[in-house]
Amino acid sequence: MAIDFNILIGGAAGQGVHAITTPLAKTLVRQGCQVLFVQSYESRIRGGHLFNRIRVADAPLISSREGVDLLVALNQETVHLHQGELAPDGVIIYDASQVRDLPTRGLKLPLETATLLPEKQAAEIAVNAGASGAILGLLQVSLVPMMGLLLEAFADKGTEVVGWNHRAAAAGYKLGAALGNGHSLAGITPAPAPRLLISGHEALALGALAAGLQFISGYPMTPWSSVLNAVGQRAARWGVVVEQAEDEIAAINLALGASFAGVRAMTGSSGGGFSLMVETLGLAGCSETPLVIVEAQRPGPSTGLPTRTEQGDLSFVLYAGQGDFPRAVLAPGTPAQGFALAARAFNLAERYQLPVFLLTDQYLADVNFTHEAGDFPEKVEIQRALKLGPAAAVYERYAITADGVSPRRLPGFGPELVVADSDEHTPDGHLTEDLLVRVQMHDKRLRKLKKLGRELTGISTSGPAAAPLALVCWGSSLGPVTEAVARLNEAGAPARMVHLSELWPFPAMAVAKALKGANKLVMVEMNATGQADRLLRQETGIAADHLVLRYDGAPFTPEYILRGLEGHA
Amino acid sequence: MLPLDLYQGLPAAWCPGCGNFGMLKAFKQALAELEIKPEGLLMVSGIGQSGKFPHYLRCNTFNGIHGRTLPLATGARLANHEMAVVAEAGDGDCYGEGGNHLLATLRRNPNLTLVVHNNQVYALTKGQASPTTDQGFKTLLQPDGVAYPPLHALALAVSQDCSWVGRGFAGMEEHLTGLYKEALSHRGFALLEVLQPCVTFNRINTYQWFQARVYQVEEEAGYDPENEIWAFQKGREWGERIPIGLIFKRPRPLLEEIHPVLGAGPLVRQQPQRPVKELLADFF
Repeated sequence: MAIDFNILIGGAAGQGVHAITTPLAKTLVRQGCQVLFVQSYESRIRGGHLFNRIRVADAPLISSREGVDLLVALNQETVHLHQGELAPDGVIIYDASQVRDLPTRGLKLPLETATLLPEKQAAEIAVNAGASGAILGLLQVSLVPMMGLLLEAFADKGTEVVGWNHRAAAAGYKLGAALGNGHSLAGITPAPAPRLLISGHEALALGALAAGLQFISGYPMTPWSSVLNAVGQRAARWGVVVEQAEDEIAAINLALGASFAGVRAMTGSSGGGFSLMVETLGLAGCSETPLVIVEAQRPGPSTGLPTRTEQGDLSFVLYAGQGDFPRAVLAPGTPAQGFALAARAFNLAERYQLPVFLLTDQYLADVNFTHEAGDFPEKVEIQRALKLGPAAAVYERYAITADGVSPRRLPGFGPELVVADSDEHTPDGHLTEDLLVRVQMHDKRLRKLKKLGRELTGISTSGPAAAPLALVCWGSSLGPVTEAVARLNEAGAPARMVHLSELWPFPAMAVAKALKGANKLVMVEMNATGQADRLLRQETGIAADHLVLRYDGAPFTPEYILRGLEGHA
Repeated sequence: MLPLDLYQGLPAAWCPGCGNFGMLKAFKQALAELEIKPEGLLMVSGIGQSGKFPHYLRCNTFNGIHGRTLPLATGARLANHEMAVVAEAGDGDCYGEGGNHLLATLRRNPNLTLVVHNNQVYALTKGQASPTTDQGFKTLLQPDGVAYPPLHALALAVSQDCSWVGRGFAGMEEHLTGLYKEALSHRGFALLEVLQPCVTFNRINTYQWFQARVYQVEEEAGYDPENEIWAFQKGREWGERIPIGLIFKRPRPLLEEIHPVLGAGPLVRQQPQRPVKELLADFF
């Protein structure tokens, strides 16, 4: 790519880092730029340090990268923490009332309320809208879409506030344009069709809606809450019942009850809250009730790092619950994959009558991708897999079948009675202690995995298929690993990437095929012990030669992965 | 009235003389009199001897896990509010393991009936104390007697404006049938606690013990179940005199009225049409 520009906007929580980021990123996308931004924040409402890293390019982006070309500092701490990353020709735009101490290198643009917007009561607007304007001026990108977005954002606060925002943005734009630098985006080609700017959890929520989600229940917990919020904001328009539960145990039982009665239902949490749901997960397994569960990972153990990212719950979701029962685990790598897999999760849950996990994390939850409309399917096929109409003979909810899937009917839809039980049960659903029936029923449930396993593949690859070095990853690590592999190939070191988005039942054959001919295998994942490496060994006998792990709570970057390969690639 | 054999389920595996038998008989009678067909009824239960109740009936059933009867039943009711939903729980199940769900359900006011089998003991696990066991009651696990006072669940329900609160006694089947009928016909969340002697693990609170103590509130001169102060006192009354009957009643908006989506009919009958293009529109 000819243009690859990194903006870092930092400040204390409550200062307006997000207020600057979202309209800025949207404006850049509307001008034809490719934008990807990641969010880093602390578990507090005010104060602390938070920053957004916005990468802007003229070609599609799949990952964030390290380094800062433009540092926007709303406070002194931002300068102290990030000046080391600033490129030699970097620029610093800063709130002059907050920042005193600056590095000697780089172009500098102070934001002063006196020049931007002298109204005393509007100091925050002056800096936030002024910074947005200054960034666009610096990049020589039209201010027009930004003016529209500011109008949208502040219309309910009255024309005076909108006017202040517009004046500050225009004043900032002039200052930025006057600064002059080598980072003009003026030559960027407008997109042939409008593009989307969307986060992982927003896309996942839309995928669920497209698949016919009618009921969602949950208890707030970061980073899971953004799924609940994204559905909640659209619930009235699309006819969804949203129930905030008293705890996660209630959340999963509400969803399970709704699913049993016949609607597509979803719940979710992050690791701590999902811990509370585990007993009912087993109930979904034993009663063979479809259920989609989002597990949005954050670093554990216990409360861990509440607002950071990790892929540390893979083993947990694979094995959660007493006894053996079938489940599926899907782990999207991009927002578009989040949409597709959310839709797929509902069909799998319903067709195989089992719990299906969507395993995400804080990074994927919050990362915003620029997507083409064509990255999403035009239509989602809803496979209901219900038996309606009169039964031929006596109806048995758990009739023993060859593929393990029994005919599912709904209570209240005919004279056939639907009986479901958490106890081991007879084909007609009643509790039993007949040990022979127990074995038949257990085998029936587990048989579902056979057909399901053949259906799951979900492997994507990049790089030359015969490259001797293979980097294996799963879920949200897709982007950084893809870029690391591309850089290796550019540098003349042939490498391939193998990404798994469908982890259970483990697609052993497909993985073995994708790894064929590799003589050096590296597992790249965000946890401390190599959970996917253990899974790979368990299911295929193939062991990684080297692990690149990250568990400090920050997301992978291509640079971090390349550093982890030093001496191994 | 529908024929009683319409509801004939599997033979019950309770101890002979168990209070649950009286409850089952009275419940079938109420269903038959109200003409609630088996296919129009969903019974949701937990774990304990009460959890087996739906298996001994003919009806749609979801026998879930211990303590979680109420959210499971509420979810089902929200998905299909044309179906009669009854949550069947025990004292340990509902007042112990699932206490938080009781609090939340009192606030939600779903249009369903909760029946709490109160035998004041954990019978399925062979005799430990439950939240309603009398103070001083000796068990294998509490050899010096239970240290805490029992939970006054009905007073708790009254204090939170529970839409319908009643108590029956398994030894008075006809009276209990009347209460079942009222609870099932009530618009809103109905909590019906049934005193249900455990003949194996509770040798104190026996049929005879209750027969000497229970009295019907409706026979008390001027008793007004809409008077919350009076109802609260009845909810706490326990010992020499134990009130049964309709304790409290208060009309409240239903959970299904609070969700505007359900105005278009039961969720399960709705066919959502959501073009992908329109879903994505916010993000361009």
